[in-house]
Amino acid sequence: MTTEATTAPSAHGADAHSDDLPNYLTHERGIRSWMTTLDHKRIGLMYLASIIAAFFMGGVMALLVRTELLFEGRTIMNADTYNQVFTLHGAIMVFLFIIPSIPGALGNFFLPIMLGAKDVAFPKLNLGSFYIYCFGAIFLVVGIAVGHVDTGWTFYTPYSARADNSVIWMTMGVFILGFSSILTGVNFIATVHTMRAPGMNWRRLPLFIWGIYATSVIQVLATPVLAITLLLLTMEKALGIAVFDPAIGGDPVLFQHFFWFYSHPAVYIMILPGMAVVNELIGTFSRRKIFGYMFVAMSSVALALLGFLVWGHHMFTSGMSEYSTMVFSALTFLVAIPSGVKVFNWVATLYQGSISLASPMLYALGFIALFTIGGVTGLFLGTLSVDIHLHDTYFVVAHFHYVMVGGTVFGFLGGLHYWWPKMTGKMYDENWARVAWLLVFTGFNVTFFSQFVLGSQGMPRRYYDYLPRFHNLHMTSSGGAYILGVGFLVMAVMFIKSLRSGEKASENPWGSAGYEWLTTTPPHPHNFHEQPVITRGPYDYHLCTELELFEGHHKDFVASEAE
Amino acid sequence: MNPQASEQLPPQMSTLAPQVDSLYYFIYYISVISFVLIVGTMVFYVIKYRRKPGVKAQPTGHNNVLEVAWTVAPVFLLVYLFHAGWQGYVFGAVAPSNPLEIHVTGKQWTWDFTHMPSGAQESNALTVPVNEPVRLTMSSADVLHSFFVPAFRVKRDVVPGMFTTLWFEATHTTDEAEPLTIFCAEYCGATAGISAEQSVALNTNHSSMLASLRVTTREAYDTHVAQLDGPPEACVAEADPMACWGERLATEMGCMGCHNTTGAAGGIAPTWRGLWGSNRSFTDGSTREADANYIISSMMEPQSQIVTGFTTANMPVYAPTENRKLAIVAFIRSLATEGQ
Repeated sequence: MTTEATTAPSAHGADAHSDDLPNYLTHERGIRSWMTTLDHKRIGLMYLASIIAAFFMGGVMALLVRTELLFEGRTIMNADTYNQVFTLHGAIMVFLFIIPSIPGALGNFFLPIMLGAKDVAFPKLNLGSFYIYCFGAIFLVVGIAVGHVDTGWTFYTPYSARADNSVIWMTMGVFILGFSSILTGVNFIATVHTMRAPGMNWRRLPLFIWGIYATSVIQVLATPVLAITLLLLTMEKALGIAVFDPAIGGDPVLFQHFFWFYSHPAVYIMILPGMAVVNELIGTFSRRKIFGYMFVAMSSVALALLGFLVWGHHMFTSGMSEYSTMVFSALTFLVAIPSGVKVFNWVATLYQGSISLASPMLYALGFIALFTIGGVTGLFLGTLSVDIHLHDTYFVVAHFHYVMVGGTVFGFLGGLHYWWPKMTGKMYDENWARVAWLLVFTGFNVTFFSQFVLGSQGMPRRYYDYLPRFHNLHMTSSGGAYILGVGFLVMAVMFIKSLRSGEKASENPWGSAGYEWLTTTPPHPHNFHEQPVITRGPYDYHLCTELELFEGHHKDFVASEAE
Repeated sequence: MNPQASEQLPPQMSTLAPQVDSLYYFIYYISVISFVLIVGTMVFYVIKYRRKPGVKAQPTGHNNVLEVAWTVAPVFLLVYLFHAGWQGYVFGAVAPSNPLEIHVTGKQWTWDFTHMPSGAQESNALTVPVNEPVRLTMSSADVLHSFFVPAFRVKRDVVPGMFTTLWFEATHTTDEAEPLTIFCAEYCGATAGISAEQSVALNTNHSSMLASLRVTTREAYDTHVAQLDGPPEACVAEADPMACWGERLATEMGCMGCHNTTGAAGGIAPTWRGLWGSNRSFTDGSTREADANYIISSMMEPQSQIVTGFTTANMPVYAPTENRKLAIVAFIRSLATEGQ
């Protein structure tokens, strides 16, 4: 290990031509080398492929749901099929896509690189969590294949306890996926604590790492509760032990407490990584350090902790005590403060920046706008008397899609566009990327803004059929879903074209000061050719050289080209 | 005359509705202003500070005053919202003394209402008096349901194994042609394993668990309740008023969701055509003549005897008043003679 610290960004991408260096994609070949790899980058890519497959499945389900709702009455399927389809949409999107998306794929790939580490702390455990994820996912798919699960992704008792036995398969799948989530969390926490490069103190930690770190803490603390709940549910079904089913002496509201005690923190498992990515995007594409760095970092930790105290706001109409309702409403409003702090600091970062509207930045700006709508509509739902009217209507559906899709999915897509050149070594067609963004952004808003109005007017959620007065808004929403679908299709073609015939990416195509851009493209199997030493923060653009920023090339790369 | 719906919310028809709506619109305007300020500033900065050749970004400074200001400032708004929301919630949670009492039972996929103190029943339709507090005591016979009337801005889950309550005071009577709708707002499943044709005809799922709600004067309410335990006026002139009432009840209570009167075999439940007086054979090998006792016991204990050809009686328990039981029996009896 060398300790070179003569230049500010002390990276050593290339001694001569970066082409000559091994990269993680090509230094070993064959299916076996992927299946048994301990390289966090390859594991990250395998996660990426899996979650994209899950997203595709969940997306097809969403389009089926919206197609059924085009017209009143039966359009393409029966009520019980519809119920299974929206259950699959929710379960796949939540458990197989959103929760593992950013931590599993982008986190695995970039967390060690951004720390200047060779790998995660426990590489074998990392591969293990990936296989556990696959195993859990297969369990879910088998649960789907053998029986029809139609409980919704929340598995509320007593309906879930009465329905067909395949609920056990589905819940076992989620139980197993939970272990994958816990192990990844433990791995990341250990990595952040022990594997930081020399010179990287906590104040130099990229905000992406802060966000993933906060997420990992929630994963480790909250996921066991999910496992306990699903174990109790399974024991009740298999052994007849009364826990949740009132027919044999259980309490169905207890299940809701258990379920949301996990699932509300899980909302932060989903959104914090999205926010984490947006920090990197805003920093890079405005070439400024994130305003109020420490406030933004601590707001992630605050959200992680507050997330444990507000589960009861899913249950304001459930028959829970009025005093619990009061406490949960008050605590829920506290969540608005760290969320607001983040948004205000992002906007302040743009001030006096040098802003580029490259496709990843479009996703970041889209995130801010959509997350703001998701956030302010949360005020309606935290306000008790208003929530009573809006609870379990389309307003709630629209609210959480604005946070989960407008937030997390936009963060994920922004990160995917941003890091695509580093991961694959290929550039993509920027124009088509912008067209896809415009379609996704427009389609998303048409789909879900109309659902806010539907909800306010009293349209309950999870309805197979609806009253004639809701027809126009449902039609609009479905139309938006098709635009959204076309947007994703354009994006998929754009990325596939990039893989086949994309222009070769330079080491730092965006001109970022982030640490992950200091290594070669695609990265060296050990991430860095030599141990990097950190001498500046990840957003210290004023310490970067002119060439790095304005040509968007790393100095060594530029030097080798000039030969 | 029903009041008009506003652009975003359903018509205001209860004493609670104006309170909820004024808070709703307050948050709405706060939201619009916040959104315009945040996104407007963002767009303004993006245009003003777009990347120009030779112009560098200014290094980020610190401004702890600004940070503390935008951390603390929202607290005032949030405290106000919490307080106002809690006030409205308490108003909706605590019924005034001596309300009119109605018991509600939710079951897949019908609403049953029992007017107190008379015990008069109606299903999938409810009539309440105007300008009078009404308190509902609710429970579920099977899974979770939720009682939701958008025009009243009330919603409360209906939970098996416990009672939940809800109250409202309607402020307008409804037009005869335009009753309000009671929705089930908590997911409660659907009948599985039916064909596309049956699915269109049957409508037995969460989204069909609707009931109509009429608000009338007190006099009209009293008359309505008094008539509930006997054949309605339209049936009195019929040859068999009880059978006519029974036919209406069978539709209201949801019996026709699974049973048919056409004589078609198969389906989810045995047909009622030709049922009366026939010899029933059951899965346990026993047989019995379909008389009034058999029909009433099947209604109240559907699981006790399962007709050959069916695997399970996936039917909720019905326990209507004595007169209503007799009306159903009369209806089934009338189907025996018509068919032969």
